[in-house]
Amino acid sequence: MASSAPTNTAAGVETASVATVEQHVTPPLVDGDKSLGQVTNDVCRALEGKPTRLWYICFFVSLSILIVGVVAVAYQTIVGIGTWGLNRTVGWAFDITNFVFWIGIGHAGTLISAILFLFRQRWRTAVNRSAEAMTIFAVMCAGIFPLIHMGRPWLAYWVLPYPNFRGPLWVNFRSALLWDVFAISTYFLISLGFWLLGLVPDLATMRDRAKGKIRKAILSVVSLGWNGSQRTWRHYEIVYLLLAGLATPLVLSVHTIVSFDFSTSVIPGWHTTILPPYFVAGAIFSGMSMVLTLMIIARKVMRFEQYITTRHIDAMCKLVLATGLIVGFAYATEFFTAWYSGNQYEQFAFYNRAGGPMAWSYWIMVFCNVCVPQLLWSRRIRGNIAAVFGITIFVNIGMWFERFVIIVTSLQRDFLPSSWSSYVPTSIELLTLLGSFGLFFTCFLLFCRFLPMIAMAEVKGVLGVGRSKKGGEK
Amino acid sequence: MTPHDPAERRDEDVEQHEAELEKGEFNRRAFLKLAGFTLGGAALSGCTRGREEKLIPYLVKPEEITPGRSYWYASTCGACTASCGILTKNRDGRPIKLEGLPDQPVSKGGLCAVGQASVLGLYDSKRLKKPLVGGVEKGWGDLDTSLGVDLETIRGSGRGVRFLSRTITSPTLRESVEAFLGTFGDAKLVEYDPLSVSALLDAQEEAYGVRAVPRYHFERAEVVISFDADFLGTWISPVEFTSTYLERRKLSSDAPTMSYHAQIESRLSITGSNADERWTLRPSEVSSGLAQLAAAVAKRAGVKAPWSSLPKGPIEAGVVEKLAERLWTGPRGRTLVVCGANESDAQRITTWINHVLQNDSDQVEATIDLHRPSYQMRGNDRDLMALLAEIRDEKVGALFVHDVNPAYDLPDGVNLGKAIGKIPVVISFAERVDETAEHAKYVCPDHHYLESWRDAEPVAGVVTIAQPAIRPLGETRSAAESLAAWSGAARSHHDILRDYWSRELLPRSAPGEGTKTLDRLWDDALQRGFVELAPLSKVPFSYRPPALAVPAARSASGLEIALYAKVGLRDGREAHNAWLQELPDPISKATWDNYAAIAPSLAEELGVKDGDVVRLAGSAAGGSKVTLDLPALVQPGQDSSTIAVALGYGRKGTDRFLNVGPQWIEARPTVEEGQTVGVNAAPLLSIAGGTLRFGGAKVEVSRTGEERPIARTQQYHSLEVPRHLAPGKGHPRPIVQETTFATYQKDPEAGSHHAHALDTMWTEDHSYDGHHWAMAIDLTRCTGCSACVVGCQAENNVPVVGKDEISRNREMSWLRIDRYYSGEGDEVSVAHQPMMCQHCDNAPCENVCPVLATLHSEEGLNQQVYNRCVGTRYCANNCPYKTRRFNWFDYPHNDKLENMVLNPDVTVRSRGIMEKCSFCVQRIQEAKFEAKSEGRELRDGDVQPACVQSCPAQAIVFGDRNQRESEITKQRGDPRHYHVLEELNVLPSVGYLRKVRNREGGEQHHG
Repeated sequence: MASSAPTNTAAGVETASVATVEQHVTPPLVDGDKSLGQVTNDVCRALEGKPTRLWYICFFVSLSILIVGVVAVAYQTIVGIGTWGLNRTVGWAFDITNFVFWIGIGHAGTLISAILFLFRQRWRTAVNRSAEAMTIFAVMCAGIFPLIHMGRPWLAYWVLPYPNFRGPLWVNFRSALLWDVFAISTYFLISLGFWLLGLVPDLATMRDRAKGKIRKAILSVVSLGWNGSQRTWRHYEIVYLLLAGLATPLVLSVHTIVSFDFSTSVIPGWHTTILPPYFVAGAIFSGMSMVLTLMIIARKVMRFEQYITTRHIDAMCKLVLATGLIVGFAYATEFFTAWYSGNQYEQFAFYNRAGGPMAWSYWIMVFCNVCVPQLLWSRRIRGNIAAVFGITIFVNIGMWFERFVIIVTSLQRDFLPSSWSSYVPTSIELLTLLGSFGLFFTCFLLFCRFLPMIAMAEVKGVLGVGRSKKGGEK
Repeated sequence: MTPHDPAERRDEDVEQHEAELEKGEFNRRAFLKLAGFTLGGAALSGCTRGREEKLIPYLVKPEEITPGRSYWYASTCGACTASCGILTKNRDGRPIKLEGLPDQPVSKGGLCAVGQASVLGLYDSKRLKKPLVGGVEKGWGDLDTSLGVDLETIRGSGRGVRFLSRTITSPTLRESVEAFLGTFGDAKLVEYDPLSVSALLDAQEEAYGVRAVPRYHFERAEVVISFDADFLGTWISPVEFTSTYLERRKLSSDAPTMSYHAQIESRLSITGSNADERWTLRPSEVSSGLAQLAAAVAKRAGVKAPWSSLPKGPIEAGVVEKLAERLWTGPRGRTLVVCGANESDAQRITTWINHVLQNDSDQVEATIDLHRPSYQMRGNDRDLMALLAEIRDEKVGALFVHDVNPAYDLPDGVNLGKAIGKIPVVISFAERVDETAEHAKYVCPDHHYLESWRDAEPVAGVVTIAQPAIRPLGETRSAAESLAAWSGAARSHHDILRDYWSRELLPRSAPGEGTKTLDRLWDDALQRGFVELAPLSKVPFSYRPPALAVPAARSASGLEIALYAKVGLRDGREAHNAWLQELPDPISKATWDNYAAIAPSLAEELGVKDGDVVRLAGSAAGGSKVTLDLPALVQPGQDSSTIAVALGYGRKGTDRFLNVGPQWIEARPTVEEGQTVGVNAAPLLSIAGGTLRFGGAKVEVSRTGEERPIARTQQYHSLEVPRHLAPGKGHPRPIVQETTFATYQKDPEAGSHHAHALDTMWTEDHSYDGHHWAMAIDLTRCTGCSACVVGCQAENNVPVVGKDEISRNREMSWLRIDRYYSGEGDEVSVAHQPMMCQHCDNAPCENVCPVLATLHSEEGLNQQVYNRCVGTRYCANNCPYKTRRFNWFDYPHNDKLENMVLNPDVTVRSRGIMEKCSFCVQRIQEAKFEAKSEGRELRDGDVQPACVQSCPAQAIVFGDRNQRESEITKQRGDPRHYHVLEELNVLPSVGYLRKVRNREGGEQHHG
């Protein structure tokens, strides 16, 4: 069998040494008593055969949505930002909401791949690959918005501190938007590197199984000459660990810096020190929900029920619940701070959120982010895939609205009542938001089709091969 | 040609080469020459950047024109009959900006919004470029010939010739018209003003025997009581009145004075918004309210009241007594009652009260000067009525229509237009084929006033001159020249003017200065923009008390119409001016539309909200029914039985603004195709007692169920947040601070909001060693007239964005006037607060820009670098004052002619970038260069931003706060000085001087 390839054997040996006793008391991480070979077969089956009809349908729907989004963005770029519903008072709305939303989604990937790796949370193995892919696609979606929200996007490169002949006119290191540029690009590069590195052993497996010449040639190049030797594994493990260490602070820093866009401003509702932890918790909250949403679909579509088990879902639900509680607590704290500050502008910003003309968005947010996740206290609900799926959809919606509420309701009515205004999105904005989902799902579907969705090498490590009597060939 | 002529030598060279080539002799030197030439030529031609355009097309430089330098000419504004003094700023031979003429004795350096905007009218590409005969473009020669024949026929037939005009302020033109009419048997000049004050003139004539508006000296009035007269906004001479009214309300001096101003009116005018106290009544109750006041004054004066008993009046007895007491205790001759209703009875009572109070006295410096009356309004409604009857009876043989548009601005205009069409010869001087000119056989377009010579005598003894600032853009001809041509003695306007001046003005000019020649007088006038003539001998006026009818009892039921002029559009003459159409109304902040203003209580009763279309049904002047469909606007401070509608809208041809704004898929047109901007409300005018009535007619209001949202630049109107969003104490935001005069006198710092001393842990970024620019705006002086808003637009090339963009809250104005109401329901007080970039020394916009597109200058200016801006809009979000404006689109600049109004010193911004007030940095630079070239230091007052220059109220002061003696330093040290949102520690460079009202009660709570 192809599973006897040397690549997997080494992984099994390596990870077996850190296997814990937990496995004996908790349900196994992979159902169905898989052998190493079965894992390889299961994961590679999707990549080597023809895609299913369902995949085609999904892909074409996503691609169409993406194209609609591209048309909307092209129109807006040609005609002007005026095609959005913004005004002199509300200078950001859908654009930055979508940006923060997607960045938040991106957080779960790094959390799972880096932090949970460092904490030796072995259940992460089944979901880390796709969670990381999701991170990368989400950051791509996020990155588009600051770009297209510019009045003159063709000059976007001016935000990069490259050497030039403009004398003292350089980037402004005091601007939180510039910090964003650094934070997001760093995050994207590290996440991408981390993901690509983790892919190498699996790509090598695919290379070894490849039939076509071209396929083999391509995979040979991208697997970077992986030979599965002890040395290769050693280097791989060290680099992986280092990158995980590097990526870990990013999980906290990226959203902290994104929150600086708001917290370093003077606008009531933005100007608050609670934003960094609040944003990080919110990001993990939304990211985990999105991972859950995607995993629940993917395990069904790709038939990975035995790899992504209720145990994984249960663990992620607990994370969602915990971060959801933090987020809810932050909402309450904001109100307390506003009231306690005695500052009428600050107080009004929050009373206006909850009772002003856009209160509906606030209450959608509270319902979705605070009320709905409470259901996850129940083990029965956590075990009910359909219920969890529904809850995660609510959380996704709620977290989008959280950013909308923070951005729009704060801007809409700030200091001078003469400039108070409102905001209604235009068709172009709605299509752009839709288009970003198109991009995300198109990328994700391509990923499912061409790259192993489950980290084979890592999953094999948690199978317990070599310790139980149903071990593999070894 | 001499042998040394280079051209010839070149020819010789070429011939020589050709000869050599033919002979096959081609030496090395020749080859290198040719090769070098060819290569060089190829390289050069490769380097060209497309078509070569000459930036400065002067081969021979015209005298006095230096490209890039601006020239200023003293002239006279022709936008309305007030005839304010202007300076026209010319660049490269074209006027681009109008400013107030500082020393002019009437307008005193101010210029209103309409005057400021009138420069745009010069470059209106839809103005007629040629005269029309029967609707066909003809040359002036053809027209003169054809008209000559027609006029001869009329002369033969003996039918009447009528010259219908707005008040002719030009003595020269008046003489020309009279001379021309003198050549006919039955000829008459009929003057009327669309915003008529004929009843006032009638009352003056009855009382004093002189039919003229007296000159009102608000600067002498300790007490001003105004009944429906919007003298700070649109009444007779608002720029003059603003300046004189504020002369008596001076706080920044050692002896602060403040007149008491009460306004009793039916709608909320800007005058009312500035009043110390204000009450409302129905338009029909003005004379009965005045009668109440007259009776109370009579009681105090011990004279017999004109009436033995009065029915119950509209004003509460207590208020009447208080006002009468104020008038009576004010010094004799130093109070003033004015009335804006065009109603003879009301004007008679006004005259009577003023007489009893000796305000018409020539013994003291009284508030009413009868000896030097104003000639700004001379229209006679009785003459007009007589003419209308003649037109209807087809008795008129020829009608000249000059500067008016009777088919538009008179009641029953459509039928009047048809009747005018039946007159054999109609000659219009209109600049476009308007509602009246379309019925005229001859349309003889007059120059725009900036293209023409002209004089005006706004006030007896002050003759102003207007000089052409540009050659006529089309083949137009001034009315005086046309009349001269038709009289058979064609002369230029310049000659006509000089001739008149030498005959009439020279003898009256400057006695005691020795003999003056016409040239001296003329040059003086051209330099100063006006000449002052010797006053006429003081003939004492005797007062004849009028016969006063007992005013009608209060009508308890029904709704009344109040038609009024808006600050921007006035009588509709300027309806083709996009700047004025887009100028937010100072009170309602509405643009691009007129509407039915309804008091909140009435709106509630009718179940109407903003933007609901209501149908107003009234009876026309002829008695037939008239209905108008207008969107409703809930207007606090309005009388609850009055519906107020602005005149001046619904002008023919305003569908030109269909595509005035940016075009994109969700864009809504500013005006529907074939429709007009707003609705003409003139059909609701009524005629009663021989005068045109703007208010008082009964109307019925019904809802139509349709909606037409009004585009307004302000959505929330109070400094108090909505009550349900302010649990606990809901006190107003301390953005506009105010106090009362009594409190101010005790404590000049009264009304200040408790401010903390703010420490900083950061070192100062800037040392401001040179200049440090700052501005101070006196809220007690600012009337909200919006002249600065248009001035800023003209100076800084601020684009017009159209109704849809305004309704999306995307107006581009760099300077706006925030208007806040306080108080309840129909009784509100109003505060106006001009708001522009505050040029913070610790600016929140500066540190958020990722590309440093907004920077702080060494002189404290917050500078926007358009070229560097990538358009993240972060700066605008972070601006606490929301004064930054983003270019959402490329705003249309397709009209080449209109683009000539653009200020070449200011960049026209492209889309996707941020812009905002620059403190007119181009003017700062210009003043600095000027000072440098003169080898001197910059003096205080050398730099005047556009808003400062033209403010009729002189409410804004700009200067260098590093100069210890400067006016701005003084203002900043004033106890009334404060900064808006001081607690944010953004250190704004713009400060405000607290608003002080002369009203009773303790601390006012706007702040």
